[in-house]
Amino acid sequence: MNSEMQGLVTILDESHIVTVRKTVRDLATRMGFGLTDVTRIVTAASELARNIFHYAGTGVMHWHILDESSRIGLELVFEDHGPGIASIQQVMQEGYSTSGGLGMGLPGTKRLMDEMDIQSQVGQGTAVTVKKWHQK
Amino acid sequence: MTDVQIAVMKVRDILLVTMPADPDDLTVTSLQDQVLQSMGKFNARGLVLDISAVESLDSFFARTVVETARMVGLMGGRTVLTGMHPSVAITATQLGFTLGNVITALDVDRALDILADTKRMPGKK
Repeated sequence: MNSEMQGLVTILDESHIVTVRKTVRDLATRMGFGLTDVTRIVTAASELARNIFHYAGTGVMHWHILDESSRIGLELVFEDHGPGIASIQQVMQEGYSTSGGLGMGLPGTKRLMDEMDIQSQVGQGTAVTVKKWHQK
Repeated sequence: MTDVQIAVMKVRDILLVTMPADPDDLTVTSLQDQVLQSMGKFNARGLVLDISAVESLDSFFARTVVETARMVGLMGGRTVLTGMHPSVAITATQLGFTLGNVITALDVDRALDILADTKRMPGKK
């Protein structure tokens, strides 16, 4: 069991989506999240890792355990140097998709987590940060 | 790299497939191939897809399940999805996907009942 407060998983090929899920599942379980929240976090991580693989090819997931006085949180940052997102407002619309998917990617992922932030520049890359909290 | 084999079992004229807990994309994709080939090979008229071991169902996996059910339908079969965990059902709903016309059942027993019911000819109930 990993007892570090932060770490990373590189996403180079499709099999690393499974590595991301496994890492996040272990972390969230160890932090004391309930089963439904663990499933939410793992599913959100899977969607974001797949976005990296699909749109940017490669990238990395950084994870941090946020320890505050009354609550504990898991922060996941998915970073890539892919094509970037031209309009964040557009990708956050329900039903929007460029890849012929179900178009539920980012808005759906946001619903599973407590916080989501997207930073992106066309031609530079994208960083999606998500957080989930639980009371101590 | 995981090397998970999906076993497609034939029970009478029904195919029974159990998904592993955390399948990678290749495993999910090979599910579709194997099921469709087995449908033809065994002249099956239904598919029971059991996901009781599955711990998380993301949009790719869900889309493949819906697609597979649609393809099985084109081949004249019916698909029943069984064993979804409560936490997976909650997450899937919040993520925003629906399973379209895929029939679901709590367990394999009930799925076989549903498929047996469809075998009866209309009017011969």
